[in-house]
Amino acid sequence: MEIGPPVKKLKHSGSYCETSTDIFDRYIQLIDNKKNLKAVLSDEFDSPLKLVKVFVGHIKDVKNISKTILALNQKIPLKELQHLKRVRRQDVILCPTNFFNDTSSIQDFIECYVPELKHVFEYFKQVEVPLNPPKIDRHFQETKRIWSCNFHPNKYLEKLTGDEFFPPYDLKNHRLFMKVVFEVAKFYSIKYNIDSIDSTFKNINATIVVDPNLQTIVALSFDNRQAHPVQHSAMLAIDNVAKTQDGGVWNSKENNNEYVGVPEDVLPYLKEKFPSLKYYQKEYKNVLEDKIKSKEGPYLCTGYYIYMLREPCVMCSMALVHSRVQRVFFCIGNDECGALKSKTKLQTIASLNHHFEVFTDFL
Amino acid sequence: MSNSDINNFMKRALELASEALAAQEVPVGCVFTYEGTIVAESRNSVNITHNPTRHAEINCIDFLLDYCRNNNINYEHYFKDIVVFVTVEPCIMCAAALNNLKVKEVVYGCANDRFGGKTVLNVSDFYKHNYILRGHLLANEAMALLKQFYKGTNPNAPESKVKKAKQ
Ligand SMILES: [Zn+2]
Ligand SMILES: [Zn+2]
Repeated sequence: MEIGPPVKKLKHSGSYCETSTDIFDRYIQLIDNKKNLKAVLSDEFDSPLKLVKVFVGHIKDVKNISKTILALNQKIPLKELQHLKRVRRQDVILCPTNFFNDTSSIQDFIECYVPELKHVFEYFKQVEVPLNPPKIDRHFQETKRIWSCNFHPNKYLEKLTGDEFFPPYDLKNHRLFMKVVFEVAKFYSIKYNIDSIDSTFKNINATIVVDPNLQTIVALSFDNRQAHPVQHSAMLAIDNVAKTQDGGVWNSKENNNEYVGVPEDVLPYLKEKFPSLKYYQKEYKNVLEDKIKSKEGPYLCTGYYIYMLREPCVMCSMALVHSRVQRVFFCIGNDECGALKSKTKLQTIASLNHHFEVFTDFL
Repeated sequence: MSNSDINNFMKRALELASEALAAQEVPVGCVFTYEGTIVAESRNSVNITHNPTRHAEINCIDFLLDYCRNNNINYEHYFKDIVVFVTVEPCIMCAAALNNLKVKEVVYGCANDRFGGKTVLNVSDFYKHNYILRGHLLANEAMALLKQFYKGTNPNAPESKVKKAKQ
């Protein structure tokens, strides 16, 4: 598929009114660009370093540095600040300031807990140091400017936070699948005569589920929330995946379609628009059965990628966690109830038992 | 609603949870009540449907939406009077669905430390309308069922089936 130069947003003139088909076509063109996607990561990656106040003692005589560190590590270990080196030039971290309320008592504190150091320090001061270990090189550089620290580089995380995460071939695929999402939404918007569509795509959504190993579309769905408030497109897509496994509950009437997870009505349209796309077929079942028998368990979206027009709401995002999907890609943010970026980031809640990666920045 | 009614609704939800356990599903049961009468009841059915979103609450919601459609009832009005009794604190997904439907009240048995829509993430922060949430009604009974499931010591199930459920 050829990729042209990025198309600039059309300017709205007062008299010209974009139809919903125009809007979809405009977005499909906008998606067709070469910019890399961005991972949506926990807040610590885009907010400034968190700092904590500590007492620092200035050592009078450099000869006393190693003895001081040894004594302090023994008597006042820094449990929460292991990532920091105890000493920077002649300054040594004594303890966080919240160890005691009275700021004048740091000398007393030292005399009481490490009496052998009582004459070592020339003066004390309060300094703010980074609270958390640096995770990426950028954090490491920032941390180093404040205080000496240890750093264990993580290649994958560096890439994930960088601007070139996906190689060109993968990127082209992700953008292609996102175009499919918009074509699906366009097809159903025309079919159901939905004309209230604006650039925020409020109240509609479309989802496709892709098996990245087979490069096939396993399931897809268009939102039905107007008729059924739980049938958001992600919920429908998950149920359509279940149908590929002889499960599923919604509209379970016999589907003659050879592609069980893909609704029959939209298929001819997609085949015409994207002749080279492949869909999950029953013959692939062996692959799937192997997957079920493997350690992954009965969570049928394990390893699958999800492409959505809009950022999913809290319900749908948690449904995707329950489904154990591997990656979620979305195009348009959802300021009202988006749970992967806008309102909260479900993928960053450490206590949940499954964490997928989230990517956006298609436009 | 009297205290004995409330207890009876939760006891019914516990019965449904036991049914789930016997079917090798995560033992969570749920009843929806309208003006003091049970109008929907269900239990977790994730394994049988191969759909990890088929929690007891979602099954009840689905049932009542069908009921409303078939009887020309406005579901938005109907759900505003619904009181939910569920053996385990609704998960983040179900809590969002129940907030979205603006149900009146949710009464649960034991807290849900793994997925709870209050314990793990306070879902009510994201919705304008919030239901009244009350917990710890017959919590020990609800917890005992969960423990049995996760230990795989369901005495009613043949051993091979217990193993299969744990795979
Ligand atoms: Zn949703
Ligand atoms: Zn749930």
